[in-house]
Amino acid sequence: MDQLVENLCAVVGRDHVRSEPDELLVYECDALTQHKHLPRAVVFPASTEEVAGVVGELARSGVSFAPRGAGTGLSGGALAVNRGVVIEMARMRRVLKIDVENRLAVVQTGVVNAQLSRAVAAHRLYYAPDPSSGAACTIGGNIAENAGGIHCLKYGVTTDHVTAARVVLADGRIVDLGGAGESAGYDLLGVFVGSEGTFGIATEATVRLLPVPQAVRTLLADFADVDDASRAVSAIIAEGIIPAALEMVDNATIRAVEASVFAAGLPLDAGAALLIELDGLEAGIDEEAARVEGVCREHGARGVRRAVDERERKKLWAARKGAFGAMGRLAPDMMIQDAVVPRSCLPTVLAETYRISAKYGLRLANVFHAGDGNLHPFISFDRRDLEELRRVEEAGREIMEACVKVGGTITGEHGVGLDKSAYLPLIFSPDDLGAMLRVRAAFDPAGLCNPGKIIPAPPGCGEARAFAPRFPTSPNGEYQHGNGEPRTRIRESAPDQSGDSSPQLSQSSFGERPAPEVMLTTLLSTASDSSTRTVGLNLSGINRALASVVGDSNVDVREGTLSVRPASEVEACEIIKLASTFNGELVLQGGGLWPGAWGPRVVASKPVERIYISTSRMNRINSHGPADLVATAEAGVTLTALNLKLGGGNQWLPLDPPDDGSATLGGIVATGLGGPQTLGYGPVRGFVLGMRVVLADGRVIKVGGRVVKNVAGYDLCKLFTGSRGTLGLITELTFRLRPRPERETTLTVRGDTAGPLLEAARAVRAGEFLPVALELLSPRAASTLPVEGPASRFVLLVRFAGTVKAVESQIERARAVFARCAGLSTIETVEADTQLWRGISILPTHLLYPLKWRANARSSSLPGLLTLLDSFPSSRGRALWCASLASGRLRMLHEEIADAEACATALSAARTFLREEGGSLEVEVADEAMRRLLAARGFGSRELPAANVELMKRVKDALDPHGLFPTSCGVEPDAGR
Amino acid sequence: MNVQPSELTGALAAEGSKLLACIHCGLCLEACPTYVHTADENDGPRGRIYLMRAVGEGRLDAASPSFERHINRCLGCRACESACPAGVEYGQLLEAARADLREGGRRRGHTDWLLGFTLRHIWSRPRRLRLAFAAARLMRDSGIAGWLLGSRLPRIVSARAEFALALLASSAPVAFGHEEADADARVESVPSVKRPDTTTAAPRAGAVRAQLFAGCVGEGLFARVNRAAERVLGVNGCAVEKTPAQVCCGALHAHAGDLEGARRLARQNIEAFAGGGASPVVTTAGGCGAMLASYAQMLEHDPAYAARARAFSERVRDVSQQLASTNLRTGAPHGPRVVATYDASCHLIHGQRAFSEPLMLLAAVPGLAFAPLEDSEVCCGGAGVYNLLQPDLSARVLGEKLTRIRETGARLVATGNAGCHMQLGAGARLAGLDLQVCHPVELLDESYRRAGMYSQTPATE
Repeated sequence: MDQLVENLCAVVGRDHVRSEPDELLVYECDALTQHKHLPRAVVFPASTEEVAGVVGELARSGVSFAPRGAGTGLSGGALAVNRGVVIEMARMRRVLKIDVENRLAVVQTGVVNAQLSRAVAAHRLYYAPDPSSGAACTIGGNIAENAGGIHCLKYGVTTDHVTAARVVLADGRIVDLGGAGESAGYDLLGVFVGSEGTFGIATEATVRLLPVPQAVRTLLADFADVDDASRAVSAIIAEGIIPAALEMVDNATIRAVEASVFAAGLPLDAGAALLIELDGLEAGIDEEAARVEGVCREHGARGVRRAVDERERKKLWAARKGAFGAMGRLAPDMMIQDAVVPRSCLPTVLAETYRISAKYGLRLANVFHAGDGNLHPFISFDRRDLEELRRVEEAGREIMEACVKVGGTITGEHGVGLDKSAYLPLIFSPDDLGAMLRVRAAFDPAGLCNPGKIIPAPPGCGEARAFAPRFPTSPNGEYQHGNGEPRTRIRESAPDQSGDSSPQLSQSSFGERPAPEVMLTTLLSTASDSSTRTVGLNLSGINRALASVVGDSNVDVREGTLSVRPASEVEACEIIKLASTFNGELVLQGGGLWPGAWGPRVVASKPVERIYISTSRMNRINSHGPADLVATAEAGVTLTALNLKLGGGNQWLPLDPPDDGSATLGGIVATGLGGPQTLGYGPVRGFVLGMRVVLADGRVIKVGGRVVKNVAGYDLCKLFTGSRGTLGLITELTFRLRPRPERETTLTVRGDTAGPLLEAARAVRAGEFLPVALELLSPRAASTLPVEGPASRFVLLVRFAGTVKAVESQIERARAVFARCAGLSTIETVEADTQLWRGISILPTHLLYPLKWRANARSSSLPGLLTLLDSFPSSRGRALWCASLASGRLRMLHEEIADAEACATALSAARTFLREEGGSLEVEVADEAMRRLLAARGFGSRELPAANVELMKRVKDALDPHGLFPTSCGVEPDAGR
Repeated sequence: MNVQPSELTGALAAEGSKLLACIHCGLCLEACPTYVHTADENDGPRGRIYLMRAVGEGRLDAASPSFERHINRCLGCRACESACPAGVEYGQLLEAARADLREGGRRRGHTDWLLGFTLRHIWSRPRRLRLAFAAARLMRDSGIAGWLLGSRLPRIVSARAEFALALLASSAPVAFGHEEADADARVESVPSVKRPDTTTAAPRAGAVRAQLFAGCVGEGLFARVNRAAERVLGVNGCAVEKTPAQVCCGALHAHAGDLEGARRLARQNIEAFAGGGASPVVTTAGGCGAMLASYAQMLEHDPAYAARARAFSERVRDVSQQLASTNLRTGAPHGPRVVATYDASCHLIHGQRAFSEPLMLLAAVPGLAFAPLEDSEVCCGGAGVYNLLQPDLSARVLGEKLTRIRETGARLVATGNAGCHMQLGAGARLAGLDLQVCHPVELLDESYRRAGMYSQTPATE
C-alpha cells in the first residue's frame, strides 16, 4: 500500500481519498481532453486546515500537486503531471458569510460560481464574473484562471472582484492575502489571482458583490456578414457606451446552437449576430439602447430585436453560453482558442482566421466576447484523422500569430496551463518570463505547486533551473541571450556567491530534488545578502558617469543626494546599471508628491546615500486607440496631461489620486493610491493593462499587454502597482480608459454632526443609485473647498456621472431621499463640480502638514473610526479629514501637532480599532519626532503577519536581490520576524 | 488512444456516437445530485461517460468494481440531459452501460439477484404482478404497514426494510380535508370492490380520444390517480378509452440493464395501443411516460418495430401536457388553508419536457395557496428502486429535498410520478415531517368534484 496515500487518508479520512487506478481515470484531463496526465491520487479536503495538512504531507514527501475545482478549465491546468496528487476542492462548497452592508461574501473556494449569485440573490446582489461554465465552475478555479466571462466588458474579471483570499502555500502554511482598501505591502493577492494554481491553493475567498441592476436591455442585432458586425462593435464603444456585454456569434455558431437544446431563434441566415446587453438605471437606458440600435443599423444590421422579457433574455444568453457545447456536436474533437486583439483590429483578424481555416480546409466557427476583443476561434475535427489533426495544429498556431501580430495576447481568460505555454514566447521575451519565474519561485521555492503549467520548467528553484530546458546556460551559470553572448553582470558578486546553487540544482531531475527547506534557505541567502555588494564609487565619480548618459543639465547634486533625469527607457537602463555600483539607495521619483513618505521608518543610524531617478523627462504619450479604449504613455506623463490629450476623444483615465497636477502616471501606479471616485470607477490596479519596467539588473521587462483581457503568464502588473518603487522602475504604462460621462453633477448636503450624513449616505447606498463618489468631509476640510454654504458643518458630497437623463433622475431622487432624512440642511446641486473634486485631490498633497495618515477599512467600520477621531488632541472642530464612505478610506491631515505624545497614542488606538475591524492604518507622512513616538508604539513592525512579510521579502529578493531600490513598501521587511 | 466506435464492446458499442457527442465541458456537473453530494467526478455524468468510453476503448475493464460502483450510483434522473449543450443522450448511455455490466459476468450480490428475479418473473407477468400489488395494498390498507412502522420493528431488521414499508405506507391516499374525499378514497382503495364508474361525465362534442397508460405501480397502488385523470380529462373534453392488453413500460428493466426485457415489453405495448391510431397515449407517471417516449430510440435498430416505435413515442404525453393543450376548466376553490408546493418528477421534465404544464393544473385550482419549491427540478433520490439499492446516497439526496420543502412551509406537495410520490412520503414520514403527497391531477379532480362538475350534464359551449 502506498504510504503517501495512507498518510493522506489520515488527514482527510479514507472516504475522501481516491487512489484506485480505475477511479483516477476521470481526473486525467479537464475540459480540454487532448492533455492527459493520470494522477497518483485524488484528495478531497473539506476545510482549509485539511488542505494545509494535505499540502504539508505532500511537501514532506516532495510530491507535487495540482488543485482542481470542477475541471471545466480549457487549458489543461487542473491536471497533476508527473504522477502528482490532485487536490479536489469540490467538497468545500459553503458560503461562509454574506455581508450585505459591505457587499462582500466570504466563500469556500469550491463554491460554484452560479450558486454564489443564487445564494445572495435574496439581497438583490450578485457576483459579477460569469464565465460560460458558470453553472459548474468553482470560485477557486475562477481565481486560479482569473476567469472572465460575458459581462466582464463593463464589470471586469475575477481579479477585480476578489478582495481577499486565504491561501495554503506550497509548504502547507496558511496565509491571508489581500484585505480592505489600499493596504500596505505588495499586492500579493493581485499576482496570486490568475497564477493557475502554481502559487498555492486558495481555500477561502472574500469577493465583492454588486447590486442587481435596476434595468437591463438585451438586444440581438443580425448582420449579413462578420465584417459589418465587428465594425459595429468598435463603433458602439467609440460612441461612448460601455455595454454590460457585447458578444458576437457567427453563422456557423448560430447553426450549431439552433440545432441544440439552446435554440433561441437566432437568425439562421445571418452572417453574424451581436448580442448586446445594457444595464444600469431605468432612467436613460432606453435612449442608450436606441443609440446602440442606431449604430448597428448604420453599420448594416438587417434587424435589431430587443428581448421582451426576462425569459427571452435568459434564452438568448443560454444560447450564447451553450454555444461551445453545441458546437461539440459537429465533430468528436475541437480546438478552441482564446486570443485577445485590440477591438479595432477585429475586422482584419476575423477575416484572417477564416482565411487561415479555409487554407487548411477546416471548419471554423467564431463565438466570442467581441466587446473585449476576446476571440474564441473554434475548429471542430476528428483527432482520429491524424492528417486533419496536423492541419488543425498548424492553423491554430497561424491564427495565434495573426492575433499577436496586431498587438494581441495568446489567452484572455482560459489560461496558459499545459496548452499554450508554447505560445508564450510569442509575446514574452526570456527576460519577461525569467521575472515571472522568479516570482513563482518566491511563492513556491520547491516547485511542487502545479508544476509544468504556464511556463514549462522542471520543478525547482530559481530562474537558472527554470530556464534550463529552453534557454541554455553558459558553464558559469550565466544566462545566454539570443545572440549567444553571455551577458556581463553589472555587479560582481562575492566569489563564494558567484556560482550560487544552480550548478548542483540544474542537474537534478524530478527524482533527486533536494529537500524543499534546503532550497528555500539557499534562495534567501543568495538573494538577500547585501553585504556582498561592492563598495560604490563616491558621488562625484558616479555623477560624471551619469552625466555622460543624460547630459550635465539633467544631473543635480544637492546635499549628498544626486538627482538624475533620464529622457528615455534606454537612458534609464544605463543609469540603473551604473547606479548598481553605488552603495546607497536608488529612489524612483515621479511628481515628487510624497517626499519622506512611507514612514514610519526610524531613520538608519547612518545617513543612506541616495540617487533619485526622476521620470519627469519621460513624458511622451505614445498611443491612444479610441476604439480600443486604451492608451500607452511613458511613466513621467502627468495624469493631467494624459487626460487633456484623451479629452479630445471624449475619453479619460478616471483616476483621482492625491494630485496637485504634477502626479505622474508612474507615480500613481507605483503608489497605487486612489481617490473618492474609486467607488464609481474602481481602483488604480484595475486600469493598468501593461507596463515596461527596468529591473535592478538593468534589464527591461514587459508585463501585461495592450489588450483589456489578458491572462498570459503571471499578472506582474499587480505586483508593481503599489510597490512604491521598491521592485523596479516603471517606464511605460498601458491603461484601459473609459468614455467621459455626458454629465457629472454633485449634490452637497450639510449637517451639524456626522451622524445624519452617514445615515444619508447609507440611504443612497441602499437605494437605486449609482454614485461615483460618496465623500464625507470634516468642517475644516470643507472650508478649504470652493463650496458655498456655512462653515463649521460637516459636508457630504455625492457625485453622479453618466448620461444626462440618468444623472438628473438620480439628483432628483437623491434630493428627495435627503429631504426625508432628519438633521440635514442646505442641500445643493453643484453642476460645475470639477473644481470641487480637484480641491479634494489637492488637499493631501500640501507639504505643510507634519502628519498625514490613511485608514483602509470596510465601509461599515468608518462610523466607529469617526468617533475615535475626537480623541486626537486639539483636533475637535479643527480636524481635517475626508472619508470615502463606500470605499472605506479615510485620510486625516494634521495641520499642527500640539501634543505629540497624545497624538501618537490616539493614532495607536485608531490603528488597534482598525485592525480589529479587519482594516489597517498607514502613516503616510510623519516628521522625525513623530516617527520615533510611533515606532515606540509598535508602528512599522508586525503590520502584517510574519508569513506575509516573509512572502513579500521573498518577492522583493527575487526581483531586486541586492536591494538596489528602497526596501520599505509600507511594511518593514524585517519587522514581522 | 481513440478507437473506432465499431471497436466498442457490448451494448455501449451501439451507442458509440452518443458517447463521442460528450465534449467533456462539465456543465452537467452541478445538475447531477450524486456529484453534488460526493464531489467525486466519477459520480458525475461527465465522469461516468468517461468511464463508459474507457470501457469502450478497452482502457477499463467492464468488470471493474469501480465502473460498476459509479454506474450503479447514478440515479438516472437525466438532469444532465437538460444541462448538456451537446445534447448527449445520457439516459440511453446509462442503460447501455448497465446492460454491459449485467453481461459483464461479475458475481451479483443478493440484492441484484432479487431485483433481477422480480423483474423477470413478477414484473413482466401481469397476473403475478396484480397479485403482488393486491397483497401490498392489503398490507397498506389494513394498517399492517403503518403498525409495523410504528412498532420500530422494521428498523431493527434493517433500515432498508423500514424504508420499503414507509414507501408502501405513503402510497395511501391523501385526505384533502373534505369528508367526501375520504370516503371516495376508501372506496377506491379497496381492491376487490367494483369501482363506481366515475367517468360518466361524457365528453363534449368533437371530443379528443385518448388512451391511458395505467402503469404497474400506477394501477397497483395509485389507481385513484388514474381514475382522477380520467375524470379530469373527461371534463375537459377528452374521452379516455380502456387499453386492456397493456403491460409494464419496461423502465425498471431498462434502468437495471435488462434492455432485452424492456424491448420485449415495449413491443407488447406498441401492439396493445395500436388500436388507438394516432390518439394520445396519456400517462400519469413521469417515469413511465419518459420510458414510453424513448421506445423510438430503444427499438431504432429493430426493423420490424422502428417505425411503429417512433410513431408510438410521438403519441405519448403526460396527463398535464394533454390537459394543458385544452382550454383547462377551473373547479371549486381549494377548501383547506394549507400551503401546497410542487416537486417536479425528473423524468417528467427531462424525459417528457413537462416543465410548466403540471403547474398549470395547480393554477386551475382556485384559491390554492402555493409556495414555489426551490430546486424543484432536482431529483428526490427515489429513482425507481434506487432508494433501496443505494440507501445512503439516496438518503442524502432526499434529505436535501426535504430541507427545501420544509423551507416552503408547505404541508402538501404535489408530484407527477408514483416513485417520487412514495419517496417524498416515506422521507417525510420517517423524518417526522407533517407533509402529505398527492398527484397534481388529484387536486384538480378534487376541485372539480367539489364544484359538482361530475354530477351535472356536460357543459355545452
